[in-house]
Parts: sequence; structure tokens; C-alpha cells
Amino acid sequence: MRQAGAYSGLLCGGVSGRTGPHSLPLARIKKIMKNSGEDVKMISGEAPIIFSKACELFIEELTRRSWIMAIQGKRRTLHKEDLASAVIATDIFDFLITLVSSSESHAVGGATNVMEVETIDCS
Amino acid sequence: METGGFHGYRKLPNTTAGLKLSVSDMNMRQQVASSDHSAATGEENECTVREQDRFMPIANVIRIMRKILPPHAKISDDAKETIQECVSEYISFITGEANERCQREQRKTITAEDVLWAMSKLGFDDYIEPLTMYLHRYRELEGDRTSMRGEPLGKRTVEYATLGVATAFVPPPYHHHNGYFGAAMPMGTYVREAPPNTASSHHHHHHHHHHARGISNAHEPNARSI
Repeated sequence: MRQAGAYSGLLCGGVSGRTGPHSLPLARIKKIMKNSGEDVKMISGEAPIIFSKACELFIEELTRRSWIMAIQGKRRTLHKEDLASAVIATDIFDFLITLVSSSESHAVGGATNVMEVETIDCS
Repeated sequence: METGGFHGYRKLPNTTAGLKLSVSDMNMRQQVASSDHSAATGEENECTVREQDRFMPIANVIRIMRKILPPHAKISDDAKETIQECVSEYISFITGEANERCQREQRKTITAEDVLWAMSKLGFDDYIEPLTMYLHRYRELEGDRTSMRGEPLGKRTVEYATLGVATAFVPPPYHHHNGYFGAAMPMGTYVREAPPNTASSHHHHHHHHHHARGISNAHEPNARSI
């Protein structure tokens, strides 16, 4: 009689039949790693496992910071603009600026124009 | 018996000229098409990766977000899409740095240590400690699993709490009672009393099982009580 392993869905209560305690699928992580560059040749088995947990921490941090932005705007719905504001306000998320800048460009552009007008008035 | 099987080769009529004409015609058309639409074909080659393979599953991402957000919070569709893209960008960003290190050291395989090093270099220092602990626990559990493969089933005791695994789903051990694999009786049902001699033997047998189980738990302090 076979026993369920430590990573089986039976023992960890895997959601929707997924197995293992990893909240993100390792095969998908590996595909994204492979697609990140043509010179990525081989990936060890532990690398996607580390990324699974790292992505979880990353999503949590980005969500937490974005929610603070939504609260400051007195809203209860998280929008793309909140994510963009969180990215701009955090140094380690600089690599995401080009990704979120399309949504924030209007707001940032408007703000800079206002600043220019104010400086002209002051001078 | 000429109905089935192979009966030799049959010579086809010579159609080489027509074939040459069609091939040359196709080549000419292809040259014209390539000169007109070279940019379009380049874009098609780039999009060989399917949309669903480029991003993490949205349900998994939202589940992680919901852990942080309060119950009354809502997430717009554009925020969901953006955070999916951000996660993929994060993986690519870290992988690129880890891969550069591998190339410098003339290695072909990206390891977990390369990933951790890349995160540290790119400013994600807060992630290093929990990830190192997570990797250490994973390796310990993997070592236990490989060592357990040679052992008999009775000796296998895994501490599922080490990886934060819920233990509420573990099925209870069913005991063998005189050839009857019985599940628990539903609540509120009445059971007719058995004759005294059979009841006493059943009771004794049941008591023996619990006694044996108690001894095994006493000898194994790390074993999880179910």
C-alpha cells in the first residue's frame, strides 16, 4: 500500500488538485526563466523552488505598498495606478518603471506641468 | 489472394517541368512577400511563446494578494494583469543577473545560490534570510524523503509542520477488526447490543490495539499524534 508523500495534495490540502506546498507552479516559473534570455541554458531543480517563495514575497510586498497608496487615495479598490505609485516610490522596484509607466505617464506629466507653472509664477 | 499488401512499384508520369515551374513561382512570390512584410514576420517569430506561458496563473497570484489585503478590499482587472506582468518581469530580472554570474564563472546551470546572490545584489536583501531558511528546510525534507525510501512503511514518520503544511487533511489510521474495515458510525444511530461473550472479546481486542498504539507513540516522541 502506497503512502502519500510529504508534498502530496492529500497531506497539504492542495487547492484544486494541485500537489505540493508551493503556491506558484514550478513548471511555469521555469518557462519564464528560460524565456528571460536565449543564453539561459540549464536551471537546477532548486532554482524554481526558491523563485516560488521569492515571488510570493514579492507579490506580498508590492500588494502591501500598493494598498497603502490606495488608502491614501481613500479608495478600497486596488488599481494599476496604485501599483505604479508603489513602484515609483520604491527603489528596488525601479526595474518595473517602464512596465507601469504607461498608466502613470498622464498623472506624472500633469504634475510636472503644474510644477513648471508654479516656478514660472514664482519667478 | 491479391486483395491486400504490397504489389510492387507503379511508375508515375513525369511531371518534373510542372514541378519546377511551381517551385520557381513560389520562390518569386516568397521573395516579394518577404520584401514587403519583413517586419511583420519578425513580430510573429517573437510571439511564439503563448500568453499563458508568459505569466503566472492569475488565481494563484490573487490568492497571495488576498492574504495581505483586508477582506473588504477589491482588486481591479488592470491591477491583476499588471501584477502578473510584474512577477514575470521580476523572475526575468533576477534570472538575467544570476545567468550573468554563471557565464562569468563559466557554468551552464543556474543554481539556487545564484538566484539568492542575484537577489542580494539587486537590492532584495530582505528576502535572503527567509529564502535561505526555506531552502534549508526543503533540503532537509528532501534528505528525509530519500532516506525513507528504503525503510518499511511502519517506520515512516514525517513532520509535516516543517514546511508549514496543514495537517488537518491526514486520514485517521483504520484498524483491522476481524476482517472488517469499518468506518465510523453516523451520529444518532442505534446499535443493537451484542451477546456478552462476543462483546467482551471485541472490547479486549480494541483495548489491545490502543495499548499497542500508545507504546509506539511513547517510543517516538517526534511522531505526530493524529
